[in-house]
Amino acid sequence: MTALDHPSVRTARASWAGQTGQVFRRWIVGTWRQVWGPAMSLLQPVIWIVLFGQVYSALGELPAFGDGGYIGYLVPGVLMMTVLYSGAWAGTGYIDDIRSGVMDQLLSAPLSRSAIVTGQLLQQLVINALQSAVVLGIGALAGARYPGGPGGVLVALLAATLLAIVFCCASSAVAFMTRNQVALIGLSQLIVLPATFLSTTMMPASLLPGWVQSVALWNPMTWAVELGRAGLDGTLWDGSADAAALAAHGAALLALAALAFAWTVRSIRAYQRSL
Amino acid sequence: MPSSPPPAIEADSLTKRYRTGRRTPPVDALRGLSFHVEAGSVFGLLGPNGAGKSTTTKILTTLALPSSGTARVAGADVVHDAAAVRARIGYVSQGTSTDPLLTVRENLVLAARLRGVARADASARSTRLIEEFALGEHADRPTGKLSGGTRRRVDVAAALVHAPRVLFLDEPTTGLDPESRAAMWAEIRRLAGRDALTVVLTTHYLEEADRLADRVMIVDHGAKVVEGTPRELKAGLAGDGVRVELFEPDAERARRAAASVPGLRDPLVEISGPTGVLIARADDGSAALGPLIQALDAAGLAVGAASVSGPTLDDVYLHHVGHSFAGAPDTEGAAA
Repeated sequence: MTALDHPSVRTARASWAGQTGQVFRRWIVGTWRQVWGPAMSLLQPVIWIVLFGQVYSALGELPAFGDGGYIGYLVPGVLMMTVLYSGAWAGTGYIDDIRSGVMDQLLSAPLSRSAIVTGQLLQQLVINALQSAVVLGIGALAGARYPGGPGGVLVALLAATLLAIVFCCASSAVAFMTRNQVALIGLSQLIVLPATFLSTTMMPASLLPGWVQSVALWNPMTWAVELGRAGLDGTLWDGSADAAALAAHGAALLALAALAFAWTVRSIRAYQRSL
Repeated sequence: MPSSPPPAIEADSLTKRYRTGRRTPPVDALRGLSFHVEAGSVFGLLGPNGAGKSTTTKILTTLALPSSGTARVAGADVVHDAAAVRARIGYVSQGTSTDPLLTVRENLVLAARLRGVARADASARSTRLIEEFALGEHADRPTGKLSGGTRRRVDVAAALVHAPRVLFLDEPTTGLDPESRAAMWAEIRRLAGRDALTVVLTTHYLEEADRLADRVMIVDHGAKVVEGTPRELKAGLAGDGVRVELFEPDAERARRAAASVPGLRDPLVEISGPTGVLIARADDGSAALGPLIQALDAAGLAVGAASVSGPTLDDVYLHHVGHSFAGAPDTEGAAA
């Protein structure tokens, strides 16, 4: 061992973007080193498309599903399901950090709490973007067409991103509140299935029971699915979709995403106050 | 005349109250703790589990807020100027401080960059610390695959990568095997005072504090019991410590037997299951030991190993708290 000279380390508080970049880098390198988890999450939507697409293929004959058949109807739903299920797990990383002591290290560093949240969120969104590409690709191979063009795909991806932010942040906030893996996973499972089936993910509203229609109307999953669907099938551009309602849904998703983000940042502060 | 440097830490009347529920009373983890730590010294914060050591460390590292009282670390207020405190401290928590999926080098660079060290400096400083802490052969391995002792060295290196003014080590050797513990002690001794680094060492190992700390503060139930250099504290106790192991002990009979031995004082019996230990002080421990064993034997008590030693920090603790350190009630959970 050699002795260190007097250290001449120049420090200046890193910019918010710099802090966020470091946090993001940490998570993305970790993801790369545990690539089986994300790989499995890429496989899941493939299974959903094949499974649901085959089981419910006969439904595509109904006029409510439009010209694209059931696969064309299902792909935007699976797109949103994928980010929903993936996002619901986002908080588990924070629980690992709290348990191991890494969170203490982050919180005792001159690091913005919102940079901690944003860095991890960006990693989740990268995974979501890969998942979305797989969903759209497999959907196309299974026969789905996207007449909405690149603009429509972009709208669908944007809706998926907003939905991902809502659920990633909600999961993270719950993680800081419960600090318990079992509680977080239990709560996630309690929410994701009703959120999926009480929406127009798999069935058009007209085929749903009245009370489900009422619930679906206020379900962010429906907002994202309908926005994505209108983008992919092109009805957003040809004037046949209710553009005002879709815009309202988009705005509501954006507001929810902002609220969920603020909730997560506040939950870190609340966590720290409880120490 | 040159003025002395300001203290690295000034804590004044710190309290911390935890609310545990609507129907349960709150827990006072700290009850008006005040102390100063000189810059460039090693300060040992000593106490059993639940004494308030970790709560104190969490407040000083800005992880937790005090319920009342003030504290300044490296010249900045922990509540009102937390960002400045965070930039000037390094913290090794009881758990691990490093990401298990990142390599040693990646963890050090990350720790530096999060604290605003420029990219080139972060890389150079990490390389130097890897060399200094003899981590070269592990530099490109994920820290999750390292042994406990090696990972602890990485934790300390990561806490030093931005050249902090104050380094907090919270139970740095807990869970380490004796060899790793000795290696960690050597590291702490090497760091102490270098570059005017102040080290706050939280520990429940009396020997660790005795060997490493310039000053020691013993805390119990969230309050200061006694503070001073280990030498001062031990010098405050006259005579020797006498310990006799007892089998199937009867505390009252053992105390009466000890009280009958001339020159023996402050006898205390601590029982743990089928065995116990009689602890007492004597001006001449060697002279008192024989009569003590005879008295215990006469009282019908089975005696095991016996020892006489000069004053230790355990004796200091016993003297001030009223029970030995090993026999301290574990109040963890009541006060972190």
